[in-house]
Amino acid sequence: MELIDILNYSVAFFTIYTTVFFLLLFFKYKKDYYVTPKWSGARPLVSIVIPAYNEEKYIKKCLDSILALDYPREKLDVIVVDDGSTDRTAVVAKEYEKYGVRVFSKRNAGKGAALNYGIERARGEFIATMDADSYVTPKVIKALLPYFEDHEVMAVTPAVKIAPSNSAIREFQRIEYLMILFSRKLLSYLDSVPVTPGPFSIFRASVFKEVGGFDEHNLVEDQEIAMRIQQHNYKIRSSVSDDSTVYTEPPDNIGDLLRQRVRWQRGGIRNYWKYRFMIKPEFGNYGMFFIPLNFATLSAFFIVLGLLLNAIFNNPFYTRYILLESMVLSFNMFTVIGVVVLLMSFVWLYAAVSSFKSERIKLRYILLFMIFYWYLMVCYNVLMAVAEIRREKTSW
Amino acid sequence: MERTIAWSLYTAAFVIAAIVFIAGVYVGTLLDKSDIQVLSREVESLSQDLTTMQLLFLIDDNSSAFCPLYESELSSIEEKREKLGYELTFLEEKRKIDAPELKKQYFILEAQSYFLSKKLKESCNDKTALVLYFYSNKNCTDCGRQGVDILSARDALAAQNIKIRIYSFDGEIGSQVAEGFVRQFAVSQYPTTVINGNVHSGYISKDELIAELLK
Repeated sequence: MELIDILNYSVAFFTIYTTVFFLLLFFKYKKDYYVTPKWSGARPLVSIVIPAYNEEKYIKKCLDSILALDYPREKLDVIVVDDGSTDRTAVVAKEYEKYGVRVFSKRNAGKGAALNYGIERARGEFIATMDADSYVTPKVIKALLPYFEDHEVMAVTPAVKIAPSNSAIREFQRIEYLMILFSRKLLSYLDSVPVTPGPFSIFRASVFKEVGGFDEHNLVEDQEIAMRIQQHNYKIRSSVSDDSTVYTEPPDNIGDLLRQRVRWQRGGIRNYWKYRFMIKPEFGNYGMFFIPLNFATLSAFFIVLGLLLNAIFNNPFYTRYILLESMVLSFNMFTVIGVVVLLMSFVWLYAAVSSFKSERIKLRYILLFMIFYWYLMVCYNVLMAVAEIRREKTSW
Repeated sequence: MERTIAWSLYTAAFVIAAIVFIAGVYVGTLLDKSDIQVLSREVESLSQDLTTMQLLFLIDDNSSAFCPLYESELSSIEEKREKLGYELTFLEEKRKIDAPELKKQYFILEAQSYFLSKKLKESCNDKTALVLYFYSNKNCTDCGRQGVDILSARDALAAQNIKIRIYSFDGEIGSQVAEGFVRQFAVSQYPTTVINGNVHSGYISKDELIAELLK
């Protein structure tokens, strides 16, 4: 057996295995999917820290949604950290000081630094981080706080979604967010939640004293803090209930979208590399499955790309005389397995989207998402992210 | 918290994935068999065409009146034969499907076709150049590029309306026909090219091939 065959077989098996594993995980915990714990104690003080940099367009909607929360007003401590905005963000935010919102302005130092600045000034027993371009639904705190009944839970993530629209690019991102949400929920059953998203993840305030604040030099600081919490063997829970919904504003043009995703990918690769020491049995599923899965997926991506390019460009000279016939003759075992994997990916995607009963997405969008967005986006992101990391290394 | 590893889930996923994978491999082998069957049918059809052509030659052995018909018939057979050759090579190289018996049958047809072309050259004053190309899949580092250069030379000359027919034989596959040719032309190494009866041992470049074919 040649190396190319071994790579082909390995990637094919790996892809089938991963898809089957996540589908099994879903079926195993399907009944618990929407079950949320009940809160038995008194209402604790919750601080909401909103770092904002040039968000004059969105911050009003964000603050309005927070003031409309179904939670005692006196138990809310809302902090806006204006991170050196050059627009009217601070002016808009200061209009809410009459409602008890505290607004701080500081020199621009990035989102992580702004979050830490706000956390240092927070008074609550629990601290929610909030992106200024997002807005909450009224019951979100009541939906998320009960998870903290378990004292080992240090963070809870909400159901971050994108509001329906007529724009294809937004609809694709909407599907993508549901898929991410679905995966995060399933990973929570393995104690492997990989990220505490910027829009309204709630933390037990004490966790920042134990594990430290946000990494101020990280491209995806909300992922890094989650990995640090995992490193300390604390639990992170994830909610998918409608009550825990937070809407976020996605990039509405392809350029911004690509830049955002490449940044996520680049930061993600760096973070997994940073926390590779957690690949140990003592970190359970997180150490023995989740982190290796990310490295394996990245490797599989390059193997598949190599195999694909080899299949396209390394055809023998004579195939130009039998173009059509060679295409038919190219159907082999890997074509069959490829089709199986494709179908299973569709089942996975469909299961993810349809698990959210309140989200109605047209089947044609799911198909278009799969064909024109998902694979192409992953391809672009990984290649660009790796290229950028290589450039950084060269410049160092 | 006490971390755990979901062994039962990983094992179940492994078992199901293995079943799906094995099913994929099985369907793959069915595809391989079906491809061999398709090519076997093409070999049979070509064999019939060549037998018919041989009979036609026997009927009108010394007449030149039927030359245009023979030329057109043989061209069409050659086209089929060449395509079949590429398909067999593609299966062998890209799909790693070994079909030695089919390949041996193909060499018989190739030899038949070669003799018919030779006969056409003699009886009908056909100007088509005949190239015999001997290669080996086992011990031949230059065979790959020699094959490419022969095809390139043919394509280059085709632009000048010079027709060339190539007959390739794997000298080490155990085909009696191929071995017969190997003995006839005293092939001692691979690649070896025989152009209009002249033997060239070892690799010969595209330009050299063109020069030889234009002689």
